[in-house]
Amino acid sequence: MAAAGALTNINTDSMSGRLLLALRNGLLAALAMALLAFLFHSLLRPMIGSALVEETLTITLSRLFLVLLPIAAYLAAGTAVRNMEERHKALILALVAVTAVYALVVGAQALLGAGPFAPRPSLQFSARQTDEGILVEALEAGGAAELAGLQPGDIITAIRRDQVTLTELNQRVGLAEEDDPFRLRYIRNGEQDQLTVRAVLQTGVDNSAIVTGLVIALVIASLSIYWPGRTLPYILLAVSLLPMVVGYLWLIIATFSYRTRGILPLDGAGNIGGLTIENWGFLLGEDIAGLEFSIWQVTLNSFLLAVLMTAVVLLVSSMAGYALSRMSFAGRKFFLSFTLILHGFPAVTLLIPIFFILLNLGNLPLIGQLIGFNTLGGIALVMVAFDLPLGIWLMKGFFDHIPWDMERSALIDGASRWRVYREIVLPQIRPGLLALGIFAFIGGWNAFLIPQTYSIGAGTVNLPVFLNELIDETAPVDWNQVAAVGLFQLIPIFIFFVFAQEYLLNIYAGGTKGSS
Amino acid sequence: MEVELTNLSKKFGDVVGVEALDLDIRDGEFVAFLGPSGCGKTTTLLMLAGIYRPTTGTIRFGDRIVNQLQPRDRNIGMVFQSYALYPHMTVFGNIAYPLKLKKVPRQEQQRRVEAAAETMGIAHLLDRRPGQLSGGQQQRVALGRALVKEPDILLFDEPLSNLDARLRLTMRGEIRSLQKRLGITAIYVTHDQVEALTMADRIAVMNLGRLQAFATPDDLYERPPTKFIAGFVGNPPMNFLEIEFAQENGAMQLRSESLELGLPPEFAAAAAAADGAVTFGIRPEDISLDDYGPVSGEVFVVEPLGRDDLLDIIVGTEHFLLLADPKRKSRAGDRVRLSFDMTRAHFFDPRSELALSWK
Ligand SMILES: Nc1ncnc2c1ncn2[C@@H]1O[C@H](COP(=O)(O)OP(=O)(O)O)[C@@H](O)[C@H]1O
Ligand SMILES: [Mg+2]
Repeated sequence: MAAAGALTNINTDSMSGRLLLALRNGLLAALAMALLAFLFHSLLRPMIGSALVEETLTITLSRLFLVLLPIAAYLAAGTAVRNMEERHKALILALVAVTAVYALVVGAQALLGAGPFAPRPSLQFSARQTDEGILVEALEAGGAAELAGLQPGDIITAIRRDQVTLTELNQRVGLAEEDDPFRLRYIRNGEQDQLTVRAVLQTGVDNSAIVTGLVIALVIASLSIYWPGRTLPYILLAVSLLPMVVGYLWLIIATFSYRTRGILPLDGAGNIGGLTIENWGFLLGEDIAGLEFSIWQVTLNSFLLAVLMTAVVLLVSSMAGYALSRMSFAGRKFFLSFTLILHGFPAVTLLIPIFFILLNLGNLPLIGQLIGFNTLGGIALVMVAFDLPLGIWLMKGFFDHIPWDMERSALIDGASRWRVYREIVLPQIRPGLLALGIFAFIGGWNAFLIPQTYSIGAGTVNLPVFLNELIDETAPVDWNQVAAVGLFQLIPIFIFFVFAQEYLLNIYAGGTKGSS
Repeated sequence: MEVELTNLSKKFGDVVGVEALDLDIRDGEFVAFLGPSGCGKTTTLLMLAGIYRPTTGTIRFGDRIVNQLQPRDRNIGMVFQSYALYPHMTVFGNIAYPLKLKKVPRQEQQRRVEAAAETMGIAHLLDRRPGQLSGGQQQRVALGRALVKEPDILLFDEPLSNLDARLRLTMRGEIRSLQKRLGITAIYVTHDQVEALTMADRIAVMNLGRLQAFATPDDLYERPPTKFIAGFVGNPPMNFLEIEFAQENGAMQLRSESLELGLPPEFAAAAAAADGAVTFGIRPEDISLDDYGPVSGEVFVVEPLGRDDLLDIIVGTEHFLLLADPKRKSRAGDRVRLSFDMTRAHFFDPRSELALSWK
C-alpha cells in the first residue's frame, strides 16, 4: 500500500520525480496491454479453440496487442515528461525511461520465453520465390524438411490445394504450433507430387528483433517529445483502442463472409473476397442449423423481457428509493443494509431454490400463468428481483441530493405529496432514471443466465439463449452465422446509446443555492 | 390575518427545536424572528406552514385552529433561503405552479403571473430557467411565486442571506414596501439584526428554542429586557462589565477592579438597595473619547469601519468597544481618556440575566 501511495503522489517538480512519473506511466501501459494480450492469447483462444476460423481472429488480436503494447508504453512514458520547460531534458528523460521500460519488457520476455526468446515454428529449409513457385535452396541437416523427403531444387506450388507464395508460406508457418502438418505440393523433375512436413519449434534468440525493438522504442520516445500540437494523447488512445476496433470490425466483416482469416474475408479457394449476405438469411425466417425458432419470436421475447425489466425496475426502485430517502419508518435502517447485502449476493447460488419458487408460483390461480416457471413473466420477476437492490440504492442516492426545501415549497404551493413526487421530485432525477432504465433495459436484453435456466421451448427463448444454442451444437459451428446473430442483437443497444447519450449528458443546472 | 401561537413546542426526539412559544401577531403586521443559528426559527416557520407537526400547542390563523390542516389548505406563501425554485420549469412555470394547483383557468393564470412578474421586475425573464438567473433574480422569482396566489400570510426564511450586501439593501426595502402595500401579515426569519431592526414592526427574539422578547425595534434597542437581547441587538454589541455599587461622599458610584464611575441621581436610590455584584452594560455609542473624561485607557485595536473607527480600548483589565471619529486618527497604543453617558446605562442581574429597570 505504501508503495502504491508513493507511486500516486509523485512530486513532478524534480527531474527524478518526472523520470519516475514517465517510468510509472510506461509500465502501467505495458502491464495493461500485456494483460489484454494474455486474455486473448491464453484464455479466449483455448475457449473457442475448437473453431479454426475464429482462432485466426484471436491470434490477430493478441498479436496486435503485443505489437501495440510497446508503442503505447513508450508514448505514455513520453507524454509524462513532454510538457517540461526544456525540450532536451525532456528528451533525455524520455529516452532513459523508455530504455528502462524496454529493458524490463525484454527481461520479462526472456524470463517467460516470449517475444524474441520464443521458440519459433519452422520447416527447416531455405527457399526463394521463382516464377514457377518456391524454389527449395538448402535443407537443414536432420531437419523436418529433410526427414519428410524434400530435396534442394524442388519447387513448392501449393499447400493442399491452396496456391502459395513464399511470403504466404512463411506466414502460415509462423502461425503454426509444434507438429502441425503442412501438406506441400511440389514439382520435382517435371513430376508433380506431394509430401507432408511437420513443423518443429526452433529455439534461439532473435538478436536483430531485440535491436530493432530498441531503435523503434527510442524513435517513438523522441517523437512523443517533439510531436507538435496536442494530438499525442489521442494517438495514445487510438493505439490502445485499435484492438477493440479490430474486434468490432471483424464482427461486421464476418457477418458478410463465408469464412475469415484474421479480419479478412476468404472465398472457397482461400483468396480474399467471397462476400455474402447468406448469414443474414435468418432475418427472413430461414431455419438456422436445424433450430425451429423464428428469429422474430425470439427477438420479441428479448424485447418484452427488456421492457418489462425496465418498467418494473424503474417503478419499484424510484418509489422505494424515495421512501428510504425521505420517510422515517420502522425498519428503515435494516432495510437499507439488507438491500446492500442482497446486492452482493451472487445470483447463481439461488438458481435452484428460485426454480422451486417459480414452480410453486405457477400453481397460483390466475397469475400463475404469468409468473410461473417457463414464462416470460417469471423470468422477468427473477431478474427484476436481482436488479432491485442496486436500483433502490442508486435512486435513494439521487433523492438524497434533492433539497428538502424544494419539496416543502411545492407542498406549500398546494401540491399533494404524490403530486410533489411526480411533478417536482421525479423530474430532478431524470438523469438517474435514464441511467437506471438503460442499465435495466440492456440487462434484460442481454439476459442469459436466468432465461437459460428457467426457459424451455420457443415461447420464452431470448436472443442470448438462442445465440448459445447456435454454439452449443456438437456439429462444427458456423461462426459467421453466430456473428450475424450477435450483431443483430447489438443493434438496439447501439441505437439506445446513441439516443440516450445526449440525455445522460444533459443534466439540469440546479436552481437552488446552499440551504440552512 | 391574525396569527396566534399558544404553548407551541417541537421536539425532534431529544433535541428541542422550539419550546413553549406564545405569540400574538396582528393582522397586516410585519414580524421578524431574530436569533442565532439553531435557535428554532425555521422550525417555528415550518410549523406555521404545516410542514412540521407541533409536539404541543396550537396555531391559530384568524379564528381557525389550523394544526390539522395540510400545507396546501393554509393559504400561505413562503420564500426559502435556498429559493427552492423548480429547476425543470421556466420562470413562468414556477410562478404559475401554485395557480395550476388551484386549477385557476389558463388565461387567468397568464394574467396573474404576468402581473406578479411585473411587480417583481422579472417580466422579461419568464421564459428562462432558474439555472440561468442570478441570485437576486431567483430571489424575485421565489417572491413572485409566493405572492401570486394572494396568500393570507407570507413566510420568509432568511430570504436575503445568499445575496450580496448591496442587493440585500434594496431587496429589504422592496419586500417591506410590498408587504405594506398588500397588507399581508408577514413573518420574517433572520439572524441578521439589522434586517430585523429596519424591516419589522415587532421583533420576536429567540434563543435556544425559547422566546426571549417580543417588542418593537425601538423597545428592544432602548430597553433590552435581558442581557442576551442587549448583547444580540445592536452592532457593535453592548459592552458588559461586572461591577459593584459603592457610596462615596453621599454620591453613588459603580466600581470594578479597573474603574470607578459616578452614577446619575435617577439610579442612585435603586442602586443603594442592590446587594452584591451587578452586570453593567453600555453601548459603544454612549462612550466617547473626551480629553477631560474621568477614565483613562489605552487603544488596543483600531478597526476602520468607514464612517467611524471602531476602537477596542483597554481600561485596566477591561476591554471597551466604542466608535470614534476617523479624523482623530487613533492608533494602537495611544493613551486616551473616556467619558461615559451614564444616563444610558443598563443593569442586569448576573444570575437571571434579566434587566434591572430602575429608571
Ligand atoms: N428535522 C430535524 N431533525 C432533528 N433536529 C432538527 C430538525 N430540524 C431542526 N432541528 C434542530 O432544531 C434546532 C432548531 O433548528 P432550526 O429551527 O433550523 O434553527 P434556525 O432556523 O433558527 O437556525 C436545531 O438544534 C436543529 O438542530
Ligand atoms: Mg434556519
